[in-house]
Amino acid sequence: MSAYNVMAMSPFIAGAVAVVAIMLGIAVRRSHRASAAATVAAFALMLACIPVAAGVAPRQVTPLVVIDAYALFWLAIIFGAGMATAILARDYLRVRGGQPEEFYLLLLISCIGAGAMVCSRHFASFYLGLEVMTIPLYGMISYICSGKRGVEAGLKYLILAGAASAFLLFGAALIFSEAGTLDFVGMACATVNYSGSLVVLAGLAMVLVGVGFKLSLAPFHLWTPDVYEGAPAPVTAFMATVSKGAVLAALLRYFSTVSPDTFMSLRTAFSLAAAASMIAGNLLALRQTNVKRILACSSIAHAGYVAVAFLALGDIAAHAVAYYFAAYFAATLGAFGVITLLSANGDLREHDAMEDYRGLFHTRPVLAAVLALMLLSLAGVPLTAGFLGKVYVFMAGIRAGLWWQTGVLVFASAVGLVYYLRIIAVMTATPKDGDHACEVLLPAVSSAAKGLLAALTLAVLWMGIYPAPLLRIIEGIHLSAH
Amino acid sequence: MNAVFYIAAAVAAVSTIMVVSRSNAVYSLLYLIVSLLSVALIFFVLGAPFIAALEVIIYAGAIMVLFVFTIMMLNLGPQTAEQERKWLSGRAWAGPSILVAILMAEMLYVLWGGDHQVEGRHIVEPKEVSVALYGPYVMIVELSSMLLLGGLVAAYHLGRRVHGDGKEQQP
Repeated sequence: MSAYNVMAMSPFIAGAVAVVAIMLGIAVRRSHRASAAATVAAFALMLACIPVAAGVAPRQVTPLVVIDAYALFWLAIIFGAGMATAILARDYLRVRGGQPEEFYLLLLISCIGAGAMVCSRHFASFYLGLEVMTIPLYGMISYICSGKRGVEAGLKYLILAGAASAFLLFGAALIFSEAGTLDFVGMACATVNYSGSLVVLAGLAMVLVGVGFKLSLAPFHLWTPDVYEGAPAPVTAFMATVSKGAVLAALLRYFSTVSPDTFMSLRTAFSLAAAASMIAGNLLALRQTNVKRILACSSIAHAGYVAVAFLALGDIAAHAVAYYFAAYFAATLGAFGVITLLSANGDLREHDAMEDYRGLFHTRPVLAAVLALMLLSLAGVPLTAGFLGKVYVFMAGIRAGLWWQTGVLVFASAVGLVYYLRIIAVMTATPKDGDHACEVLLPAVSSAAKGLLAALTLAVLWMGIYPAPLLRIIEGIHLSAH
Repeated sequence: MNAVFYIAAAVAAVSTIMVVSRSNAVYSLLYLIVSLLSVALIFFVLGAPFIAALEVIIYAGAIMVLFVFTIMMLNLGPQTAEQERKWLSGRAWAGPSILVAILMAEMLYVLWGGDHQVEGRHIVEPKEVSVALYGPYVMIVELSSMLLLGGLVAAYHLGRRVHGDGKEQQP
């Protein structure tokens, strides 16, 4: 490996060194505070390595990995989300005792896997990145061993993610049988050359089924509410953001070389899945009484919105997806961040029932205001990041001529407003009498978490009011085939 | 030589169906060993003897034996002897034995027959595998090490013993 390649890979090298260093630190002496601080520092170091890598980008490192502006943008938001999760997890795990230190190792490893996915240009690195991201997630979902919910959620995710991986592998093997290569470019060429072949079509369909599971697109979304509800709140935030974003980013790179007209049947299938997830996600969310489940259903709907942008393919899809996910990451991390901080108190219960939020504006006005802002951004209300994200997706859909898909998007967003506003309405209601027990248990929020929520709030407002700098970065991204 | 491939593939398919359809875990595991052995034979006739050897040593050898032992040890108790006698009844070992005998016959045929590969295949030697792994695919090695580390840490955390009073104990 040349020095340039090492520079290009420096975010990953920093992450891997940090994992080993923190692990050895835990082996010598357990300290929750030191592990958490070292993890946040490691994420800061990985982010600091991104400009170093940008200096030598675009660069193909081995046949498996490519470091370009697209990959680096995604690395930045993945590592940022990882850092936010580490900060939230510290408050959450601090009150729960046990052995909280290993959580940070799992988090770092999972982020490295997600990063490998967005940089991959070969199915082998894509699949391994996916597994490196998913396997630590099993541990993170069931991290709190005392409750049954976490273990149950972890087991459900283990089985379903295993089935999804099997689909993905089988699909890739079928495409490989025609293409003779696992290179994304080679596989995409084969899908064009063999567009009449049933084997390739079946392979592509199976890859999309596998990816649909990970993105929780509609026919494969059934696991999402259960797993999101059972997982600890910071892990839910991580799953809703990083594990979805990385899969879609890698998929977009894979499909960037295929002309949109190649596989009409597949395109129709994906459109139907997108429309179904927009409708199912929003309708399911209307019936939920648990805030985490509502957000899980909302994440199904968001996967559908972003799938519309994905269908536009090419650079415009890359820009819309990148902006949408930047806005979605900030709002989702903020919303789950508030849930995490409310759950970080002495009674060791997840504060995710709707009743826990009754009168939050009276008891914790700042947290309630932050949560309300994040929900409005997720709903796509103007002056928040989510609004521009929706506009961007809408534009991409219209330009690509996806008329009915865009129509469903508009209708589904309108329905979505109802359940976000319902949470806000519950928060503004007056608290019930005799609710003082709740006030006694109000958690002390650490200054790091306060800073994080402030930063996310500013990010959501800044992306909503003055998005020009971010748009300039995003429009500099070109998704070439390499 | 293609016939060897098809027979081995059929054995793999049959034994894998038996793995998922048996209700007793020990029988399933026996069939799983047969399935892995037949996959190893498929690798061998396709021209990858090194991978075939790894498949036998690591999967059919180390991992599966560990599985079988663990499952058998979990059944410790007064009725263990009775249980083991039932496991050793004729029907239980006949199926896997027949399938393994087919594989054995194929293996002997391939070894004596001399041309131990499907026509037109290139034989991949261990050296070639290593050169590929430490050349273009070095990221795969690195990512796999991260994967194993993640799995190990997660297994350590979930597998440790927690006492009733909430105190931790090192495993």
